[in-house]
Amino acid sequence: MTEKAASYVKKVSSLSIDEIKKKEERTFQYWGPTPDEARKAAVAKKKGLHDKRTTIKEAVAKYVKDGINLGIGGFVNTRVPVAIIHEIVRQGARDLTLSFQSNSICCELLAGAMIVNPNHVSIKRVELAWWGYEVIGIAPLLRYLAGNSMIQLDDYTNYGMSARFKAGAMGIPFIPTRDHGGSDMELVNRGRMIECPFTKKNVYLVSACHPDVGIVHVPAADKYGNARIFGALCTCPEIAQAASHTIMTTEQIIPTESIRQYPNLTEIPWVCVDALIEQPFGGYPGAVYGYYWFDMPEFLSFRSICDEFRKTGNKDKLKEWYDKYIFGCETFDDFMATRPYSKIKQLRQMDQGQPIIV
Amino acid sequence: MPEYGPFEMIAYTGSRVLEDESIVFVGTGLPIIAAMHAQLTHAPSLNMIFEAGSVAAILEQGMPLSVGDTRAFRKACFAKGLCGAFELTQRGYADYAFIGGAQVDMFGNICSTYEGGTYSKPRVRFPGSGGAGAMAANCEKTIAIMALEARRFVPKVEFITSIGFGDGSPEYREKAGVMGSGPYRVITNQALFGFDEKTRRMTLLEVLPGKTAADIQELVSFELIISPDLKDMREPSEEDLALLRNVCDPDGYFLKRKVAK
Repeated sequence: MTEKAASYVKKVSSLSIDEIKKKEERTFQYWGPTPDEARKAAVAKKKGLHDKRTTIKEAVAKYVKDGINLGIGGFVNTRVPVAIIHEIVRQGARDLTLSFQSNSICCELLAGAMIVNPNHVSIKRVELAWWGYEVIGIAPLLRYLAGNSMIQLDDYTNYGMSARFKAGAMGIPFIPTRDHGGSDMELVNRGRMIECPFTKKNVYLVSACHPDVGIVHVPAADKYGNARIFGALCTCPEIAQAASHTIMTTEQIIPTESIRQYPNLTEIPWVCVDALIEQPFGGYPGAVYGYYWFDMPEFLSFRSICDEFRKTGNKDKLKEWYDKYIFGCETFDDFMATRPYSKIKQLRQMDQGQPIIV
Repeated sequence: MPEYGPFEMIAYTGSRVLEDESIVFVGTGLPIIAAMHAQLTHAPSLNMIFEAGSVAAILEQGMPLSVGDTRAFRKACFAKGLCGAFELTQRGYADYAFIGGAQVDMFGNICSTYEGGTYSKPRVRFPGSGGAGAMAANCEKTIAIMALEARRFVPKVEFITSIGFGDGSPEYREKAGVMGSGPYRVITNQALFGFDEKTRRMTLLEVLPGKTAADIQELVSFELIISPDLKDMREPSEEDLALLRNVCDPDGYFLKRKVAK
């Protein structure tokens, strides 16, 4: 098999030669801890079962620093770690690298904070598969930041990003996948095509992704951080296991006796979790299976504020939103207190009682 | 014939294309509706994979609004995460990829990454591949839904997000290291396309009753192969429309949208 299969050789798309050269001229770099660094972080941890409960404020202050790779859990509008993102925006973090497969509100919240005050929050680059709102529409702030070359993007498929976290979780430096090859992602992202030493056929390798800090929101965990997930696992187990440090919010804390009774239900083991916070509605306005459905009007309203900025360049309303709902709140509980009980009740009802085991 | 909207025709045609006893990897919107309709009519043993990790759910809570919607996990037989869904696919257990896109070329390569400008400075940046690139690579057959417009059916896509037949050469996909056999159908509200076995080029199979091959060619910026066996698209019956409107998408999230002029 030839080394290169992609459309560069074949000139299938109109991707410019300059874009392709960028990849060829670049030496590969992990955009976060290398596998060796991630290994050291794991080895350095105290492995006993200790109560990891803290506040989001303390957890973010301890782990989220300028320049880190932030691995974001959930999937699009599901089980997204919004409460942690609010606190990151409150405390500020610059030159972030974001890594995720598909997300909506988490990256838009960070992007909006960057637009409001780039000296407080800024995104430098993003390794991703998808950034948007699905049925609600494309993400206005991604469009703005990408269109103005304000962030560097590294595109993979949803499996590609998931496999990269999985490789990180497995402690291997890369993983072969059967996608990206023959698409233009082969020409622009940091993976590469090789000839398989066994089949002698082409196979695409993507590098492991180890976030410095993984952030996940789960339905249930014991106080040590043994987490149970219902509905979509998304890529949360892989992110938590790949990250050097993981901050976890949970809808509820459950007894360790329950964890030990059904150990097969544990999707993230305590040892991968550094900080744990019981934060009901920690995924709001996203959905959490068994707890609440997603709040479509809330998404629409935030998105429309962002889209208005994109169209007009006027930051006033966006700034107003952040001043009121993030900087004007001490905690995520304060933010949730601005949402009427009738809405909360309705979102719980719209979940229609998805069955969970706690 | 009863009156129907363009998206109803697309969903109905999508349903017709899906065979029983198969697994379809669905994207948000019309693919889910098409698969639901197929399950309720000719394909009771068709099952869906949602990329957030659900396999063979029973959608008794109604149409999931997105592929990560909690409703997509209702009464599933298997529920994991993205790795679970895509690894099952990579292994060969997903027959159809059902995706959308902004541009398609004659070899079924699809762009859903950006439009205009360059990769580093796009005029309109779209969300990105999401699952589509992996689905088009590793589901056995790819079905795409597109709006039939000359600016979307293009000689060259700006960026290949989802692999089709590449440059059309017989070994392109093998060299790319992907597993699926590639593009199978492209569905629009006025025409159904397949791909010529020999040349791998897009082929007009069916047209909306009243339309001609020339009408369709006018909306496509590359030369189509016209099937010698060109047929009229089958139109949905009253029962089909009742299922689509009352059961599949009762709130009209996707079926009642207007076609952009």
